[in-house]
Amino acid sequence: MALAMHVHPLDKHLRVKRLPTIFCSGCGIGVALSAMLRALDKRISEGSVNPNKVLWVSGIGCSGRAVLYLNYDVAHVLHGRAIPFAIGAVLANPELKAIVIGGDGDIAAIGGNHLIHAAKRNFDMVVVMITNFIYAMTGGQVAPTTPYGVYTTTTPAGNPEYPLNVIKLVGALNANYVARASVTTPHLIEQYFYKALAMRGFRFIEVVATCPEMFGRHIGLRDSVEMFGELKKRVVYRHRPSLEEAMMDWEKGIVIGEFVERNNPSFIELLRGVKK
Amino acid sequence: MRRTFATGNFAVAEGAMTAGLRFYAGYPITPSSEIFEYLAEELPKRGGVVVQMEDEIASINAIIGASWAGAKAMTATSGPGFSLMAEAISLAVVTETPVVIVNVMRAGPSTGAPTKTSQSDVFQARWASHGDYIVPVYAPWSVQEAYDLTIKAFNTAELLRTPVILLSDATIAHLWESLTIYDRGEVEVIERKIPKKVSDEPYPPHKPDEDLVPPMPIFGAGFKALVESLLHDEWGHYSPTNSVYHSLVKRLVDKVVKRLSYVYEQETRFCEDAEVLLVSYGSTARTVYLVIKELRKRGVRAGFLRLKTLWPLDEVRIRGCCPNAKKVIVVENNIGKIYMDMSRIFRNQDVFSASVLSLELPTPSEVLEAVEPWL
Amino acid sequence: MFSVGGVVSRSNNKFRVNVIVDRCKECGLCIFICPTKVLVRSSVMNRYGYYPPDPVFIDKCVGCKLCEYVCPDFAIFIEKV
Repeated sequence: MALAMHVHPLDKHLRVKRLPTIFCSGCGIGVALSAMLRALDKRISEGSVNPNKVLWVSGIGCSGRAVLYLNYDVAHVLHGRAIPFAIGAVLANPELKAIVIGGDGDIAAIGGNHLIHAAKRNFDMVVVMITNFIYAMTGGQVAPTTPYGVYTTTTPAGNPEYPLNVIKLVGALNANYVARASVTTPHLIEQYFYKALAMRGFRFIEVVATCPEMFGRHIGLRDSVEMFGELKKRVVYRHRPSLEEAMMDWEKGIVIGEFVERNNPSFIELLRGVKK
Repeated sequence: MRRTFATGNFAVAEGAMTAGLRFYAGYPITPSSEIFEYLAEELPKRGGVVVQMEDEIASINAIIGASWAGAKAMTATSGPGFSLMAEAISLAVVTETPVVIVNVMRAGPSTGAPTKTSQSDVFQARWASHGDYIVPVYAPWSVQEAYDLTIKAFNTAELLRTPVILLSDATIAHLWESLTIYDRGEVEVIERKIPKKVSDEPYPPHKPDEDLVPPMPIFGAGFKALVESLLHDEWGHYSPTNSVYHSLVKRLVDKVVKRLSYVYEQETRFCEDAEVLLVSYGSTARTVYLVIKELRKRGVRAGFLRLKTLWPLDEVRIRGCCPNAKKVIVVENNIGKIYMDMSRIFRNQDVFSASVLSLELPTPSEVLEAVEPWL
Repeated sequence: MFSVGGVVSRSNNKFRVNVIVDRCKECGLCIFICPTKVLVRSSVMNRYGYYPPDPVFIDKCVGCKLCEYVCPDFAIFIEKV
């Protein structure tokens, strides 16, 4: 038999020379990226997405670094400002398919205002927020999603705040698709992203990820497999749950599923005068 | 071309459209809003897009994104909004993104007096953002110049792949004067260099040509561009090494400074025999010019230097503009900022600051009062 | 089993498991998730000091690809033979 070079099926989507990634061992970002690329691969093979028109935009943080491994037009811009950058690019060239990746701090803290307004506009873009409950890149500071009472380097006496439920926030706005998945269910990440790629309007997917080095360390789960197992225990899948059921509680449970799915006109269509 | 009667804000908007503006993202702020409002009506008719963003930070980031998607992009604001845009200015610098940012200066500090004029942001235009960089700054003094320098700002941005600041102010914004608007073919309009796609490999977004400016691999054309805010090499890869740092920062500065003859513009009048040189720029220069004519009538041999480009400065041209001057008086509507440049540049003369802080266009008597003690 | 270009491969009649050795960071998720326990930690260190998985019990592989899907580092993939 001929000795062929066996190439990972996703290598064509990657800047292979830049691998291995800088992510920690057991980091959930790679799992999310892998699932997203499988979905994108399907869309490209079936001809519904033109790879030359795909644009990945990210902000600052571990999740932001994901785009640097992608063999597409990518932009690694300012902290919290990936969404407006992508909005400008898509409005200037509506053929572009923008996918924004960011962490929970980048998208929901400093980028919060832009998230709200992009969802309000039902702007044509997919935003994937990778939630690891912490600011990992800078060394483990508190994030808007950090559970109450957790030690972080900027809340050494324990986090005095209750976390933000970003799904409920975005769900209250005008987005066409709001879903949450987990790295413990890579099939769902792929499925939701695959669906999102073919929809119009604002599509938001939160991916709950393991962070053994930072969040895991703060809660005593520094081993990758242990952290993965603990996250898996807390993740509860519901079929088409309502926004009221979108619980995101490290103690009580993390509900995953598709919370909102509709087909309202997107911002660009509204700009062009389309009514429905 | 057509002749009309218009305000400075209208002129900026028209200048942008003549230069090929296709994308405007902005936020309302006095006294710049008319630029936005007029473009909101006109630009879509010409195939462009105008959008009001949730704040100035979103606006500046959106125009940088739009520029990377291939569109000539602009935003207009005033002091407080410009402060919000500061971070993104160095993003545009390091990603070598052509954009035009208009700051219609108003009285500060802080919320200040939104409807009143000032020239206090001249240093902020240069240094708003963190890091080492040089961005071109232009300052018109009339409605026609607001139109002409806006076109020049776009041309500079596209030629050098850099953000460019246009400093107008509340006086010029709302002043009505005659304006000649040119058609596309009648003025020089420069477009950025875009590479030819030759392979499937990612195109290096920062590999310079001989003029130190790289062709720009815009999105959506298969270039696999890598727009990177981190310190990067020619391919856009993060590279925190001294050699990359030196070469990148130096090239970004050199590409502007080496084109000084294109970027720097000044105007001189009455300088051949002048013994005292009055330096000014923007709206205040209008009054200074009147004052010089008055001084001449009184027998004072006064000369006029008006800076059209506030940054970078051509020190050789400035120093050489008025060979017989023994005194230099810098007249400006701020606490004395360009004065600091002039006292550094005119090493062999006495340089004085005639700062005229006025919420309205300084009157000739106010300027005379500020200048007389130094004569 | 063969190893070419940094890829360790083993196959049974139906499936081939390929491990791109130098991409692995020894997170252990693939070994943990494999339902039939095909993978074991190898005793051969990779370039960066990690011990990647080795599909020693390849006969048990049912091609479910859970290892491929859970790997954060694009380091393991399954092919049909």
